[in-house]
Amino acid sequence: MKFEDISLTRISETAWEIPQSGGMRVLGLVFASPEMMGDIVQDQSLRQVINVAHLPGILHRSIAMPDIHWGYGFPIGGVAAMDADEGVVSPGGVGYDINCGVRLLRSNLEAASLRPRLPELVAALHREIPSGVGSRGSIKLDGKEMNKVLSEGGRWALSKGYASDGDVDFSEGGGRLPGADPEAVSDFAKRRGFDQLGTLGAGNHFLEIDEVDEIYFPEAAAAFGLFQGQAVFFIHSGSRGLGYQVCDDYLDVMAAYIRKERLSLPDRQLACAPINSDEGRQYLSALAAAANFAFANRQLLAHQTRETIQRFLSMGPRDAGIRTVYDVGHNNAKFETHEVEGKPRNVLVHRKGATCALAPGSRELPLDYRKVGQPVFIPGDMGRCSFVLSGAQGAAKLSFGSTCHGAGRRLGRTAARRSLRGKSVFDEIAKWGVLVACASRKMLAEEIPEAYKDVTAVVDVVERAGIARKVARLRPVAVIKG
Amino acid sequence: MIRPGYRLLSHTADLFVETIAGSFPSLCEVSVEALFSLLTDRRKVRRVLKKNIEFPVVSPDELLLSVLRGSLLLFSLDQFLVRDADAAMKDDRIVVVFEGEPMDAARHSMKLEIKAVTAHALAVESGPSGVFKARFVVDV
Repeated sequence: MKFEDISLTRISETAWEIPQSGGMRVLGLVFASPEMMGDIVQDQSLRQVINVAHLPGILHRSIAMPDIHWGYGFPIGGVAAMDADEGVVSPGGVGYDINCGVRLLRSNLEAASLRPRLPELVAALHREIPSGVGSRGSIKLDGKEMNKVLSEGGRWALSKGYASDGDVDFSEGGGRLPGADPEAVSDFAKRRGFDQLGTLGAGNHFLEIDEVDEIYFPEAAAAFGLFQGQAVFFIHSGSRGLGYQVCDDYLDVMAAYIRKERLSLPDRQLACAPINSDEGRQYLSALAAAANFAFANRQLLAHQTRETIQRFLSMGPRDAGIRTVYDVGHNNAKFETHEVEGKPRNVLVHRKGATCALAPGSRELPLDYRKVGQPVFIPGDMGRCSFVLSGAQGAAKLSFGSTCHGAGRRLGRTAARRSLRGKSVFDEIAKWGVLVACASRKMLAEEIPEAYKDVTAVVDVVERAGIARKVARLRPVAVIKG
Repeated sequence: MIRPGYRLLSHTADLFVETIAGSFPSLCEVSVEALFSLLTDRRKVRRVLKKNIEFPVVSPDELLLSVLRGSLLLFSLDQFLVRDADAAMKDDRIVVVFEGEPMDAARHSMKLEIKAVTAHALAVESGPSGVFKARFVVDV
């Protein structure tokens, strides 16, 4: 099959290869169904898969998940593993919102029990949790405290009483990415973050109340504490302005490196430096610091959510039972050990809009989850549904322990607004039976369900490809957006 | 005479902006104004304060990127909203005067959050008839 000048070879029911050409060091590998390919070829994302395959030290394949779409440099939904000794690190392979990710909170509550007072609960959450452009959190960090957040991530929140042991234990890497150096983060970046801890942000970030409406993998659902009809709370946010600034700062550093070394890249947003160079090491130290800020941010959002709900329902923590199922990022670069050509190797895995999905048996998982695999959360859109998945063995073999991260956009933002044709966005979302509170009607219009691919089709592909397994489906009940 | 302006081009996830002007300084001005028009209704931003920033001259596309990133930092760090930008070349630098006011949530409705102006697909072109065009992708 050929789209424009890109050749695609279908190698299985759900996977396609892009053969090596020009300066590509490895093949491209795209997980998608034939139906999805029609959308994927509409933008530049396959070209970006090819561009990433040019980077020094890339191993095995330049990989794309079925929620792939056009990013800047790397595609969103892209995975690239680099040899830890010979490879490069690229800020464009992580993205601006460093360690943007998702936390799922479970509860002892039935979703049906919340419905009678849902508008008041949503108003309380919208009031208590800062969201929207320019929103500021209630915690103001000074320089010393900021450095602690950047070094310790979720553990800083634990030390301040904003988290329980369970919150930290059930977070990717214990809620902390090692190797952080606050000194590698610029003053501009820190200033952007001083009053943003515990803020949701805007755009596609959200706090959502969902109902568990179908269980597919009972053993994993039980391990994750999920049951049918349960109310769960989804938090999607990241490292806020601090992370955006770290990315910007280090794109400049990497661009200077590329100029100094007179290297040629197919896209300047792929700017990179060897992992073992001064530039590479500094970026990785700053990346870890920004990732830790994101862990702390989602922890504070979880804390505020829990406190608000308990207060609203006049329930104690034990009765409400609002606990972290897991917290996992989908914009990151981490050193991990993976089997490459039959041998274990230390690699740096870039995931930009892709989720780490550790298979059953992984020693990095909390004991409670080791038998069933890592929880993975795939937000869909505001109307249809989202999914809880678990890591599967195929991910270790095919995708460096990675799977998809969301539905992926189908319509551009302007096209999404135009598709409403003057109809009220609130009315359109109400048709799905979902209550919405938001700071900006325009932003809400850009996030209408029709703007996204069908997340069920995306999840179906990763399950059939063997890189994740469906555990439960969640139906949105209410959404709070920035 | 070119009338400076901007339009949005098709992009799946982010915003792809094209600006047009009759000179490079004017192109920088209209690009900054386009950026802040994406952020808020600029007509409601008062001309209260002026902030000057000087940018060393490098290649036109890198210079435009610096100007756009610098203007976005005014908002990101100090919540300063730009109503107008006035750019002038001076020897080996471009001086941009940003005029506007700090964001006031009661008067300024924010349209979206801009994470960054990216270098992806960034281009500055000058045509033979004195037309300057720029394209840049804004991560939102």
